[in-house]
Amino acid sequence: MIIEFQKAAKYIEKNCSADDYSFFIYRSDEQQTRYAQNMITQNMSGVKYAVRLSVAYGNKTGMARINSLKEEDLKKMIETAQNIAKLNKPDPEYVPSAKKTKIPKTDNVSENTSKATMKDMVSVVKAVVDNAEDKKAFISGLVTKKINDFYMKTKNGFEGFDSSSEFGNSMTMADNKNKETKVERSVKDIKDYSVKKEIELLNSQFDALTTPKKIEAGKYNVILRPQAVLNFFSFLLYFFDRKTADYGISAMAGQIGKNMFGKNFTLLTKLDEKGLTAGPFSGDGVAAKNIEWIKNGVLNALTTDRSYAAKIKADPNFISNIIIRGGKATEEEMMKKVKNGLIINNFWYIRTVSNKKNEITGLTRDGISYFENGKVKHSVNNLRFNQIIHEATKNILLLGKEENMSSNVKVPTMLIKDFNFADTTTF
Amino acid sequence: MDHISVALDHAQSLGAEYADIRIQKTRRETIYLVDLSLKNTSMNVEHGYGIRVMKNGAWGFAHSNIFTNDEVKKTVESAIKVADLSAKIKKGKGLTLAPERGYIDAYSTKIQIDPFTVPLSEKVDLMLEVNKTMLNYAKIKRAFFMLDLYNDDKFFASTLGSRIHSNIYYVYPMITATAVKEKDSQSRSHDDGGYAAGWEHILKMNLIDKASQIAEEAIMKLEADEPGEIRRRDLILNPNHLGLTMHESVGHPTELDRVLGWEADMAGVSFATPEKLKKYRYGSEIVNFIGDNTLSFGLATAGYDDDGVPGQKWYIIKDGILNEYGSTRDSRPFLDDGMSRGCSRATNYYDFPINRIPNLYLEPGKKKLSPQELISDTEDGIYIEGRGSFSIDQHRVNFQFGGDMFWEIKNGKKVRPLKDVLYKSNNPEFWNSCDAICDERYWQDFGVTNCGKGQPMQTARMTHGASTARFKNIRVGGSK
Ligand SMILES: [Zn+2]
Repeated sequence: MIIEFQKAAKYIEKNCSADDYSFFIYRSDEQQTRYAQNMITQNMSGVKYAVRLSVAYGNKTGMARINSLKEEDLKKMIETAQNIAKLNKPDPEYVPSAKKTKIPKTDNVSENTSKATMKDMVSVVKAVVDNAEDKKAFISGLVTKKINDFYMKTKNGFEGFDSSSEFGNSMTMADNKNKETKVERSVKDIKDYSVKKEIELLNSQFDALTTPKKIEAGKYNVILRPQAVLNFFSFLLYFFDRKTADYGISAMAGQIGKNMFGKNFTLLTKLDEKGLTAGPFSGDGVAAKNIEWIKNGVLNALTTDRSYAAKIKADPNFISNIIIRGGKATEEEMMKKVKNGLIINNFWYIRTVSNKKNEITGLTRDGISYFENGKVKHSVNNLRFNQIIHEATKNILLLGKEENMSSNVKVPTMLIKDFNFADTTTF
Repeated sequence: MDHISVALDHAQSLGAEYADIRIQKTRRETIYLVDLSLKNTSMNVEHGYGIRVMKNGAWGFAHSNIFTNDEVKKTVESAIKVADLSAKIKKGKGLTLAPERGYIDAYSTKIQIDPFTVPLSEKVDLMLEVNKTMLNYAKIKRAFFMLDLYNDDKFFASTLGSRIHSNIYYVYPMITATAVKEKDSQSRSHDDGGYAAGWEHILKMNLIDKASQIAEEAIMKLEADEPGEIRRRDLILNPNHLGLTMHESVGHPTELDRVLGWEADMAGVSFATPEKLKKYRYGSEIVNFIGDNTLSFGLATAGYDDDGVPGQKWYIIKDGILNEYGSTRDSRPFLDDGMSRGCSRATNYYDFPINRIPNLYLEPGKKKLSPQELISDTEDGIYIEGRGSFSIDQHRVNFQFGGDMFWEIKNGKKVRPLKDVLYKSNNPEFWNSCDAICDERYWQDFGVTNCGKGQPMQTARMTHGASTARFKNIRVGGSK
C-alpha cells in the first residue's frame, strides 16, 4: 500500500469523531494522447487524487470529498462531513458501515503498463497515422494509460486495497466519402496490446466497406460483432438492480428464477476468468464473488447494495467483471446458418425507450454489410433499432468465440434473428 | 514570485509560443433524496491548476493540485515534454491560434443568496416535503429529488497578458415521480435544468405545486393510450422539450471541432460542413438560432472562455440559413482567419479545454402567438412537454426523440393524454417544417449540465431556450 495513503488514513481515523465512518482514497496517474485527422490535437498528463469520507451520527449521514491528501484539507473534509451529518435529517434506510470482510485476491495491475511512457503512446499514434496515410484515409482516436490505486476503510473493520492498470487505444478511420470504421480495445498489460493486430482488424473492416446501398427498416438477421454486443447489452445492466425490479419499475420485476432470457444467453462475473481483471470489492464495502447473473436464459440474481440487502435479508453483491458466454461458431458459419442478414460492427447513441418493457433504441455505426447465401455482398446505410433486450436474447442462433474488449469485459460475436430496425437513415 | 508568473515565465523560457494557466476551485454540494432516504448529502471540492503550452504547432497540457513554485515548474516541464512529443505527429505547421489580445477583468454570476450559506436543514426540509407530496399518491412508488449546487472560482492567466477572475454559480433541482401498475411503470419529471443564479431561484420555483402536478401526470400516463402506428402529423413542442432537440440537432453539428473531424472517434462529426456556410437552408425562414455567451443566467456564461476570449453573441442560424459555427482559438484557423467565438471550455482544472456548444437559443416569433392559439390552430397533432429518450446519429442528421408528457390534439383541442410517443425526423426536414413560433412572452430557458463530449469525457454546461413551436407533418407514433 502507498505510504501517503497510510498517512492520510491514519489522520482520518484519528480525527474523525463520528459514530460511524467509511472512507476511500483514490489516486489515478493518467496519460492521454488524443489524435484527429492524422495529427495529435491534445496531449495531457497528471496525477489526480480523491478522498471521500462518509460519516454518521446515529442514522444521520454526511459526506465530503476532496482532491488532496494534505492534512489541512483532510481536516476540512472531516469537519464538513461531520457538520453535514449533525445538521442532516435521519436516513430511514441507513445501514452501518461494512464489517471486516475477506476480500478475494485479484491481480489487476501490470508492471509493463506502469513502466510505459508517453513515448510509447505516441509511437502507437505514429503507427496508426502511417497506416491511415497509406490508405489515403484519416484517423482519429485516443491512446490512454492509467494506473489506479484505491484504498477503502471503515470504522467497523472493512479494509481493502486494489491497484489496477489499463492501456487502451480507440481509433476511427474514415475517408472523404462514406467509409468509416472503428476498433477499440484496452488491456491490463500493455504487452497484450498488439498495434499490428489492431491495425489489421481496422484495415479488414475498412476494406470490407463499399458505397452503401439503400436499405429500408424492418426485421433482419444480424451478426453482431463484439463491440456491438458490448454496447447493446451494457444497457441491460442499467436496469439491473434488485430494488428497482422489486418496486415494479423495471422489466426484471418478479423475474428472478424465471426464463426471462433466451437459453443461449449467459452473463456472469468470474473472478479467476483467464485474461480478465476483477474489482475485488465495491465502494459500498462488498467483497467480490463469482455470480452467474443469467444462466442459459434464467435470471438468477440482480445487483443488490448493502442497504437493500439488509432490508430483504439477502446477500449484497455487485458486478466485478462482465462475461457473456460465447460458443465456437465462425462468422462464415453464421452467414451460412441464415439466408441473409446484416453484419454490424458497432452501435451508437443507445438510450432507453421504455424501462418497463426493457426496450432501447440506437443506431448502427462504423460500417454495416449485407450478406446473402453465405457471402458478404455490399455495404448498406445505417439503421435505427428499437429493440427489447431480452427478446433479442431469445433469438440468438449462434455464438462466436469470446473476445476481451477491455481488461474486465469479455463478449462473443452473436447471430441474432429478427432484430427490429425501426427506421432507415440518410447515410 | 507568484505561481502565475512562475508558470508563464518558465513556459516561455522553455520555448512555448503561447502558455496559459487556469487555477480552479470547484465546489459542488449534491443531495439525493430517494423516497424519504437521503442517499447522498455531500460537499465536493476540487482544487488545482492546469497548464497548457503551445510549442511548434502542438499542445501540451499537464495538471497538478500541489501549490508550490517547484511543482508549478515541474508541471510546466511535463506540459512542454508532452508538446514536444505531440509536435512529432502533425500536419504542415500543425495547430495555430486565432488572433486575440489580453484582458484584465473579472466576472461573477449575479446571485442574491449564496446557495452554500443556506442551512442544510432548509434544503432537506424542502426536499422531504416535495417527496412526501409525491408519495402521498398511492400509485407513486418512487419519488426522487436531486439538488445540485455549484460554484467555480477560477483564475485564468496567459502569455497574452490576460488576468481574468471568474466566480460562477448555478443551482439545479430536479424531481421525478414514478407511477407503477402491474404491466407498466411511467415517470414524469420537473426538470428545467440548471440556472446560473443563487438560492433565490429555487425559492421562486413552487416545487411543492410542481410535485403534485408531476405525480398526477405520471399516474395519468400510466392509464394513457399509446399513440399507435407511426404516421405523419403536426408536433407542438414546448420550450422544456425543445432544449434537448436543439442541443442535439443544432448545437452539436455547429461546433467547429466536430466539423473539422476532431471528434470523429467518439461524439462524431457534422453534416454542416464549411461549404454550406451562408447557403444551406437549415430551417424555415422563421428559424433563428443565436449563440450567446453573454446571457446573464446562461450556464456557459463566464465573461471569458478558457482561451481567454470574451463572451459573444452571434447568429448561428439566420433566417433559416447556416450562418456561423461556435469556435475556439485552435479550431478557427482551420476555417479562415477570423477570431474565435469563445467556445473553449474545460470542466475541471485537470481537463483540457475543448470546443463547446455556447448558450444557444431559438429566437421567439415576431408575431403575437400563444401556445393555446397554436393548439387551436392545429387539426391533427401531438403536443409534447419535457425531455425523454433521445438518440441521434454521429453526423447529426437522423434522430428519434421521446418526451415526458404527451397530449393528442384533434381539431384544435387537447383531447387525451398519450404515453410512449416517439418522433423520427432528420436535418434539414425538422427545422424546415417549423411553421410557427410563439412570441417572446412564452420564451423559457432550459439549462443542460451534463453535455458529454471529448476523450476523456467531460461534461459541460450551457443554456438553451425557446418559445413553444409547431413542426408540420413529422413522423410520430409508438416504438414499432
Ligand atoms: Zn451535448
